[in-house]
Amino acid sequence: MAAITRVSGGMPVRPATPGRLRSRLLTTALLAPAALWYLVLLVLPLAIVVVFSFGVRARNGGYEPAFVLDNYARAIDKPDPFIASLQMAGLGTLGCLLVGLPLAYFLATRAGRRKGTLILLLVIPFWTSFLIRTYSWMIVLGPDNGLAGIIQGLTGDDRFGILGTPVAVLIGLVYGYLPLMVFPLYVTLERMDRSLVEASKDLGAGRWATFRQVTLPIALPGLVTGSILVFIPMMGEYVIPQILGYGRTYLMGNALVTDFLEARNWPSGSARAVGLIVIMFVTISLYLWFVNRGRKTREVSVL
Amino acid sequence: MADRDLGELLARMARTRVNRRSFLATSGLLGTSAYLAACSTGGGGTSAPTGVPASQAPGGEATPAPASEVESELFVYNWSDYISPNNIEAFKEEFGVTNFVYDIFSNNEELIAKLQGGASGYDLACPTAEYVPGMVEEGFLTKLDLSRIPNVKHINPTFKGLWWDPTDEYQVPKDYGTTGILWRKSLLPSVPASWKEFYELVKGEGSGKTVFVDSMGDVFVFPLKMLGYSLNSNEPNELEEARKILLEVAPHILALDSDTYGDKMATGEAALTLGWTGPLGQELADLVAEGDAGYSVPSEGTLFWMDTWVMLADAPHPNAAYAWLDFIHRPEIQAEETNYNLYATPNDAAKEFVDPEILNNPAIFPPEDVIANLEGAQDTSGNNQRIDIWEEFKSAIGG
Repeated sequence: MAAITRVSGGMPVRPATPGRLRSRLLTTALLAPAALWYLVLLVLPLAIVVVFSFGVRARNGGYEPAFVLDNYARAIDKPDPFIASLQMAGLGTLGCLLVGLPLAYFLATRAGRRKGTLILLLVIPFWTSFLIRTYSWMIVLGPDNGLAGIIQGLTGDDRFGILGTPVAVLIGLVYGYLPLMVFPLYVTLERMDRSLVEASKDLGAGRWATFRQVTLPIALPGLVTGSILVFIPMMGEYVIPQILGYGRTYLMGNALVTDFLEARNWPSGSARAVGLIVIMFVTISLYLWFVNRGRKTREVSVL
Repeated sequence: MADRDLGELLARMARTRVNRRSFLATSGLLGTSAYLAACSTGGGGTSAPTGVPASQAPGGEATPAPASEVESELFVYNWSDYISPNNIEAFKEEFGVTNFVYDIFSNNEELIAKLQGGASGYDLACPTAEYVPGMVEEGFLTKLDLSRIPNVKHINPTFKGLWWDPTDEYQVPKDYGTTGILWRKSLLPSVPASWKEFYELVKGEGSGKTVFVDSMGDVFVFPLKMLGYSLNSNEPNELEEARKILLEVAPHILALDSDTYGDKMATGEAALTLGWTGPLGQELADLVAEGDAGYSVPSEGTLFWMDTWVMLADAPHPNAAYAWLDFIHRPEIQAEETNYNLYATPNDAAKEFVDPEILNNPAIFPPEDVIANLEGAQDTSGNNQRIDIWEEFKSAIGG
């Protein structure tokens, strides 16, 4: 309403009228649920985690108020799960990108009338529980009749296994989070003006140059969104390394379980969680800065 | 190897009682385990025990409290599939309890976290014994009036007056078991009888074919007992020695898994497991019958765990709770529990009603000389050195 008044009146600032007040109230009322949601379910728990991270473990486990930095010292002292998670999530994001980009490109530009059906097929697995899908990979990769069994038969090496290795975890991660990468990419590529690609070709650019200089920059926002969407949950993934990795790949998610459930040391787990949040924040900020910087320089070079 | 497809695996998951000491089933898996449990009680006639039908429930040794005083509801918080459904039906009928609520937790931490979170509304719960002192200290439990539970007289003195409850006023023993070695004879040159032999096998023929349960307290039993120390040791030097052994075997381990190790043993993917007896009557039942699979209680001694019945401080239905505690330790009723969940009962009088096959299985009911060698677990999760070693071990397995 405010916007309409402004446009029709052509005035950037207008004194408050009853109508304007009402619209403000309406905006507040509409935003209140979201604000409350974030406050109660995001800001508050986060604040609790930060407070807990300075406490000590109560005698029988849990949290006891205090102000110590030991928990952070211990977290820094044990960087292995951090590093393993960073590697695994990085490789997983790369894997999603390598599989997701061609798929999204195909869906957006080549799929034609089958597009709807194909997108539906991409979504259908999500109707089943994540856990069941992860368990079914145990059969697909397993030594009985799965991939490992076939390779065992071909090579005669009956000790060959995929389950329990980082490769199995990576396959699970890419499979589990692929749609989160494909959809943002698909949306940006779908809106792409095809004539730009044609123009590029008319101007003599090869396939690779066109992809690098036209398609990729256009897909970049989707690529960034998709990467962040898959990277963040991969950093905290717990179920896939536990099931497909046979508990042999010790990632951040597993370390948090050790802290909270096995050691019942909530402050220690909280410190690690805060550390994880900080590292993610820094990593993602750097990533965004890097990507945007690249985009700006390109825009300059085009000019 | 057996042909298996997803349907079969899922059917098996639905049938198998979720391991009572399972650690995997935390947060994310919680919903599923509850769902699977629902499947197994709802659809599964397959695991129905050979027990006393509800209609023939013995009436002997009636509880002193008249049925009229007993509330019509009872709220129990317990491991999944841990009480015989026949016994629940018999209890409901005898005491006029119409609403018997059986909620599930998948590890002790979950139970304690719920109690720490405030009012629970439950009457009874079944923590593992080493958690009882902490729960008493936190004021979570009701001191029991033993005159209202006369059937505790059947409990073997071995299980009375233990460190976790010296006066036996806060818990009633439920059942017990050991941590030991599961083996597949056909896949190994010899069957391990001690932790030392297990250690050699893990590094030798069992390399890449050994599973450890994903449970800190149980894994530490192996190096500490092998070295001749207490499994509850908090001595830095002793733990350091244990650390060296754990890191030495880490590269040989196939999986850290508390939930599907029975499956891995059954398919032959694993030949050795540091674990519990649960799979013997489930995934490994056929192989046990053929003599190919079995369980050893290591000769150096090992851990025994005991689950207990406790009454919560704010129990809304104390009379029904007392009625249940006495009811469940009637010999026939208690035997039905063992026949159902395959865990050893501490109730001596119940033994004559236990299926002889179960009673004579040394893996379930250890012989006297083995019992003498067992050590009760303490809650050592507050020891940072242990946590650090455990995490280093876990990182070393994959690396």
